[in-house]
Amino acid sequence: MAPGIRTFPFDHGGAANGTVLPTGSVALADLTAQPRFGLKGPGSSAWLEAHGVALPPVNRVAVHQGMRVLRLGGEDMLLTAENAAPALADLQGAWTAETSAKGYSSWREEGWAWMRLSGPALQPALARLCALDLRPTRFATDEIAQTRFAGVEAVLLRTGHAFDVFFDVTASAFVARAVAAVEKHCANS
Amino acid sequence: MKLLTCPMNGPRNIDEFQSFGPVRDLIDPDATPDADWSRSLFRAENRRGVVVEWWRHVPSNYFFLAERDIVSNVVLRTYAPPARDGKP
Repeated sequence: MAPGIRTFPFDHGGAANGTVLPTGSVALADLTAQPRFGLKGPGSSAWLEAHGVALPPVNRVAVHQGMRVLRLGGEDMLLTAENAAPALADLQGAWTAETSAKGYSSWREEGWAWMRLSGPALQPALARLCALDLRPTRFATDEIAQTRFAGVEAVLLRTGHAFDVFFDVTASAFVARAVAAVEKHCANS
Repeated sequence: MKLLTCPMNGPRNIDEFQSFGPVRDLIDPDATPDADWSRSLFRAENRRGVVVEWWRHVPSNYFFLAERDIVSNVVLRTYAPPARDGKP
């Protein structure tokens, strides 16, 4: 679908339209419209490596031409391109034109929401939202946790002082409301 | 909180996992007597002792094996499944 035609959950007419994203001591920003590309299945890692992408170990992140390369499994990769859309478009174009083994698209740009959690109360909020110990001493920058967040299956990635969260796009409003409730609790305690 | 250690993701809350039952031998339905085939399809082993089971870590969709003592419900170890057809 061409850019500009898609309706995202928080857009007018979207399923989460009207849900307010928290902006206080815990802030949640919606990056769902940002470009990303998921590849999965046999051949995906070999194809990426053949195109110059140095893959990180599982549950780690690498950077390639401004894109983040999240390795979610042996043959499960997610490339995010917040500030590198042309590089991602080139790679996707090459992948589409490929006729030999290349894995398959996991449609992460449509199936997953992408949100960024930040703010001064980030750590106490995370402690309420996720059972894992995500303090900086235990969970470093560019580490990935595939776990449950706000009761929803999610991929968490620490990016410095913020967390990127990827989860089922249909849970967008639910997660936003859960984080808003936690933000209110953190602000009052 | 009961924990299970995923070979790929580490120790996690048991809520993050789904059990797929014990590993069973594949039998040939053409070469197996009807009674044995019926037993294989419809009856659980349910023997005391240590069983090897398939488990799935749901958020990462990772399947692995666990050795569990079904009397004490203690998981003895978890490990990645062996490679099939030379592929991971």
